Amino acid sequence: MEEIVLQAKNITKRFPGVLANDHINFNLRKGEIHTLLGENGAGKSTLVNIFDGIYYPNEGEIYINGKKANIRSPFDSMRYGIGMIHQHFMLVDTLTVLENIVLGLKDQKFIIDKKEVADKILEISDKYHFDLKPHTKIWQLSVGEQQRVEIVKMLFRGAKILILDEPTAVLTPQEAEALFDILKQMKNEGKSIIFISHKLNEVMEISDRITVLRKGKLIGTVNKDEISPSELAKMMVGREVLFRLHRKPMEQGKEVLKVENVEAFNDRGIKVLDEIGFTVHRGEIFGLAGIAGNGQKELAQVITGLRKSTGGTVYLNGKDITNKHPLHITNSGANYIPPDRLKVGLIPNLSSIENAILRIYRREPIGRRSFVDYKKAREFTENLIERYNIMVPRIEAPVKLLSGGNMQKLLLAREITENPSLLIAVHPTRGLDVGATEFIRKKLLEVRDMGMAVLLISEDLDEILMISDRIGVIYEGRITGIVNAKDADVHKIGLLMTGATEETVAAN
Amino acid sequence: MLRFEKRESTPASLKFLVPTISIIVGLLIGAIAILFKGINPIHVYRALVIGAFSSKYTFSETLVAATPLILIASGLILVFKMNFWNIGAYGQYIIGAIFSSYFAIFWSSSIPKPIMLAIMVIAGMAGGAIWAIIPALLKAYWEVNEVISTLLLNYIALFILKFFMYGTWRDPLSHGFPLSKPFPDNAQLPRMVSNTRVNIGLIFGIIAVIIIWIILKKTKFGYEIRVIGENSRAAHYAGINVARNIVVAMAISGALAGLAGMVQVSGIIHFLQIEINPGYGYTAIIVAWLAYLDPIAASFVAVLLGGLASGGYQIQITMHVPFGIVNVIESSILFVLIGSEIFMKYRVHLEQKRKKIMSDAKIGGE
Repeated sequence: MEEIVLQAKNITKRFPGVLANDHINFNLRKGEIHTLLGENGAGKSTLVNIFDGIYYPNEGEIYINGKKANIRSPFDSMRYGIGMIHQHFMLVDTLTVLENIVLGLKDQKFIIDKKEVADKILEISDKYHFDLKPHTKIWQLSVGEQQRVEIVKMLFRGAKILILDEPTAVLTPQEAEALFDILKQMKNEGKSIIFISHKLNEVMEISDRITVLRKGKLIGTVNKDEISPSELAKMMVGREVLFRLHRKPMEQGKEVLKVENVEAFNDRGIKVLDEIGFTVHRGEIFGLAGIAGNGQKELAQVITGLRKSTGGTVYLNGKDITNKHPLHITNSGANYIPPDRLKVGLIPNLSSIENAILRIYRREPIGRRSFVDYKKAREFTENLIERYNIMVPRIEAPVKLLSGGNMQKLLLAREITENPSLLIAVHPTRGLDVGATEFIRKKLLEVRDMGMAVLLISEDLDEILMISDRIGVIYEGRITGIVNAKDADVHKIGLLMTGATEETVAAN
Repeated sequence: MLRFEKRESTPASLKFLVPTISIIVGLLIGAIAILFKGINPIHVYRALVIGAFSSKYTFSETLVAATPLILIASGLILVFKMNFWNIGAYGQYIIGAIFSSYFAIFWSSSIPKPIMLAIMVIAGMAGGAIWAIIPALLKAYWEVNEVISTLLLNYIALFILKFFMYGTWRDPLSHGFPLSKPFPDNAQLPRMVSNTRVNIGLIFGIIAVIIIWIILKKTKFGYEIRVIGENSRAAHYAGINVARNIVVAMAISGALAGLAGMVQVSGIIHFLQIEINPGYGYTAIIVAWLAYLDPIAASFVAVLLGGLASGGYQIQITMHVPFGIVNVIESSILFVLIGSEIFMKYRVHLEQKRKKIMSDAKIGGE
């Protein structure tokens, strides 16, 4: 039996309204790469944040090298030899590599012996062929190099257990390959690694064992050699009988949205849309399935004019709207439910009225010449609240006081009440309770029956299967396949989501 | 150990309590400074209140000081609402005074008074607006931090004023003092109350407050300012032209500061000189914050702080307390007010030391 370096017993973590980890058992052997696999919101990050001391579990115990550990902060976890590399790097851009590495170290003297520290950094760096220069400023480094700084930082602090939270999400494929080589080398030196991912191909390449989480629950731990990718996909996505909403058969109408060979870069300058193309028709819900970070967010931004595309064309009702002003695109009949309602879609400190009129305050009857008619605005809002059954404390109260479900209802109501020809809905039910989720899905079906074209972008595959008419799968900025929802096969979609092409799926 | 918990909303009582406590703390700190002079602060404060509010004349001086504060603060409210931190009212005020003075100094004294004053008002507003648009453009198109750009432009404005006062605009009859020639009658704002210095400028201030109130409460522009200030990403999402709004709001804010400068030289001083009280540009920031960016509340706060200023001049004369005390009080008020932000947004709990909790946990765990 191999040595267990970290063991978690019955870890339970509750957040208000959410059970993020439900009695999770997990163990990590010395010198293995153990992957935590699961969809967004499965509870992977919560679990490793507990190991790192950022969260404290409501129930359960952690044992390090067989001894019970009380980890209350990242300082504690460092003492236990745990080092975590977050998805968003914890580096100060304007400081040097060396300064970042000594930052927060407790045992440093008041005046740092830079020579000694630099030598030690170079020693670690050389061992893994990192080629890091201790006196370079962080902002001068590429994302992959910054990640290496994080790794050196953890090794410098004597970490024997390394946790990497979706380390490849920000990397190019080449950088990811290089990272895997490093991880394998560290494993051979006896370090233990917890690797988080939801990309099946990577998981199959690098893991020794895999633990699958789904919706906060432990689904199982398996040896990599004893499982196939499609079986893993099944574990990850779940095979419960899908609850289907009643819906009328689709009458596919004319083309409303046509995306043709569109290219775009994300904020970090990585190409995230790569000649993507598809169409959405009148009276259909086109579901775009895919794992987070494959270009979904940027696609919605390009269509709505919030991000410039660097190539290709977007047509709305036959007219070219590529890179037009967001206002022009809204006025041409495309509305948008953004993924992050509190950061983009709503203004938390303003009232329901002020939020409800965001799309229409410019036009009659609410906008009159230079003025806003707040009496008409109030009537309009009261009407929305009644029709969509939105619960508000007071109509003047800031919307941040509304529940998540009611916020989303208000947002949805605002976006569909004007009957646009296209609605783009990104994660429309994320974080909502069952009742609000069902309400939103029913409304999406309702507007589809009325003839609206709906582009539904979601990481929740159940949701996509439940209400879409056609399903497109996006992977690394391309459509890997489009299937009809009627004869959709979850496993096939799961494979397409992880980069398989239709041909390889057919061959399986 | 203190623990901070985020508030869902700020209770109304705190919104009243925090500015009140800020003013009290400001006065207490001022009292300490007065004690160093060996004078009883209570006597000084009593003299200050008498000096600001007791008679028709002293109150009129309070209104004279409140006038520029009202004008500047109402403009600042507009840009502060959109999270644009205009610290440059000082410079905008100076440039407004210079622009309007040009016409008073160099144009004929036979131009009919209403026309001359109208030209000076427009020139003052234009000057302030130009000085405010510079940082607005820098911010809107190159994301230059406006706190730094507006602040630095203040010094440039001051040196432009000095350049003219020691140079071509100096009155040959001033015996070498850096003063312009006195403004002719057609360039002097009419006084409203006899034997006082209260002038038409106060009416300008009241009109400004009403216009700013209407902009914020009734117009599309005011709505867009609120959306930008509260969530600029939502503003982009809704297709609001953020850059244009920044420039327009700053132009208005600067124009009002420039008008305040014009009112000061044309209504009070009657010539241009180096000392034209641009410090109103900073005091107005305190006015806007004490009033929670409400233009109507700001006009009352302006009278209060105007009283502090005019009373401050009185105690300087009667009790030999330096006017600097007033600056100490004002700055302390703002300091406490901004520091209290944390109590508005967070509930603060006192907690046992963490070590103790950890040792407790250990005992419980073993």
